[in-house]
Amino acid sequence: MTRDVAGIGLGLRYDLATELLERTPKNIAWLEIHPENYIDRGGRYQEMLDLAREDWPVITHGLSSCLGALEPFDASYLKELGTFLRDLEIPWHSEHLCLGGVDDRFFHDLLPLPFTEEAAAIASQRLIEMRDAIGVPLALENASYYAPQGPDGLAEADFVVEVLEKADAKLLLDVNNIYVNGRNFDFDPKLYIDKIPMERVVQIHVAGHFVRDDGLRIDTHGEPVPDDVYELLDYTLRKTGPVPVLLERDNNVPPLDELLSEIDELWTIYRNATGVGDAR
Amino acid sequence: MLADHAKAIHRVCFGSEPSEADLELLGSRERWLVYRDLVRNRLNHVIGVALARTKNAIGEEVFQRAVDEWFSTGGPTTRYLRYVPSELAEFAIPIWQRTEAPWVADLAGYEITAWEIRYGPPNPTPSHEFAFDRRPVLATAVKVLRLAYPVHNEPAPGAGYEPDPTILCLYRDKNHKAIPRKLNPLAADLLDAWRAGDQTVAESVQQVAAAHKTQIGPDFIEKLSTLIADFLNRGILLGGQDPPP
Ligand SMILES: [Fe+2]
Repeated sequence: MTRDVAGIGLGLRYDLATELLERTPKNIAWLEIHPENYIDRGGRYQEMLDLAREDWPVITHGLSSCLGALEPFDASYLKELGTFLRDLEIPWHSEHLCLGGVDDRFFHDLLPLPFTEEAAAIASQRLIEMRDAIGVPLALENASYYAPQGPDGLAEADFVVEVLEKADAKLLLDVNNIYVNGRNFDFDPKLYIDKIPMERVVQIHVAGHFVRDDGLRIDTHGEPVPDDVYELLDYTLRKTGPVPVLLERDNNVPPLDELLSEIDELWTIYRNATGVGDAR
Repeated sequence: MLADHAKAIHRVCFGSEPSEADLELLGSRERWLVYRDLVRNRLNHVIGVALARTKNAIGEEVFQRAVDEWFSTGGPTTRYLRYVPSELAEFAIPIWQRTEAPWVADLAGYEITAWEIRYGPPNPTPSHEFAFDRRPVLATAVKVLRLAYPVHNEPAPGAGYEPDPTILCLYRDKNHKAIPRKLNPLAADLLDAWRAGDQTVAESVQQVAAAHKTQIGPDFIEKLSTLIADFLNRGILLGGQDPPP
């Protein structure tokens, strides 16, 4: 059985959990967690997840099984992850389309894959393998990147689509990542969105990012969502229809009320773009 | 080839100096150095939080030297960010044992144990109440530390510690904090026996008392009852389970 996930959600993070779980704001429809932060962990994290599940459906977004690695998956981890995910009754799990480690060493960051046939073949094969192992639907998420890869900024969109089609997979579309990449590599993010097969999109991420003095945009999830990203969300939702949207805020976490007004803004865009929209 | 690309990224991120050849292979020197910083900063941050007092005691430079040396061995083998400080500590404590004041290794060991206690696995659910004829069930997040220096006390800045052998039980309290509780040597051995979990409480008490050449008289029983009540109250002891068939 899975629980219904619709409308606007928020990432459950340690820094905002106390206030969030006390107030249980009604304009947040669901929560997202990183399973690596909860698997085999007691204490406050266990308590946070138990409390969160009393009030919200929870969905999961993985950090460590990035789809671009070359080493075989750790079968015992996938088994543990599968058990954890099935207990949560999630409708799908998501992972990043990136390189998270090499030779069984972990970067704890999302490093870019080259947009090549070879990388697409490996990533799609791994996605299928992981989906089979965990026994729940698996979406890939498009990542942000900072190192240029050839002259065509939109090559990443073709790469993402190729992996999606090869693996017949779902997509967690991160519009902030597309915006960041568009600004860093000088392409129109809407042209990227136009290349995406919308029927594959099951979830959307929005976030803020950091602009360095030299203009490079870094995907920190540590700033408010900028207007351009709201606008790109509106553009995207008009194409996808009402898929659930998550506000990601991982760093520099402000008082909850600030995040709640961002959530309200997201609801307004969501309702206007899709004609649908009830909070909990 | 993806394999060459991946290995070059790995060396750029964790090598002591990124090589120009790798940066050239990857294609954008300045942007790959951004990645090197992002990767190392995140790991440095969590390590610095877990070992804050150690870092403060030995100074940023000495601390960072050990972390950088550890990075150059290839980086974390764990997918869990919360276990990264433990991997660093395992590498760095033997170094600090040789190069720093004699109490630094104890301090780092104490800090990393407290960190692991906070983030340790969930507790088991005991099938029975605690009883002498049953095996005890302990909380998962409990560890006995035998220290040569009382590093659980915060020292005056720069003062360090005088030797004072100290046994501590570190456990996670109801507010999820790691709390130290002093133990005498017999209580520490009892707790270790209970952690092993293969004897009933009565069996382990008899064995440990004998090893300490201690009579099990009324005095001992009274102290033992007080200790058990305190362990139950603090959530160190959770209950009991039947002996294995
Ligand atoms: Fe995202």
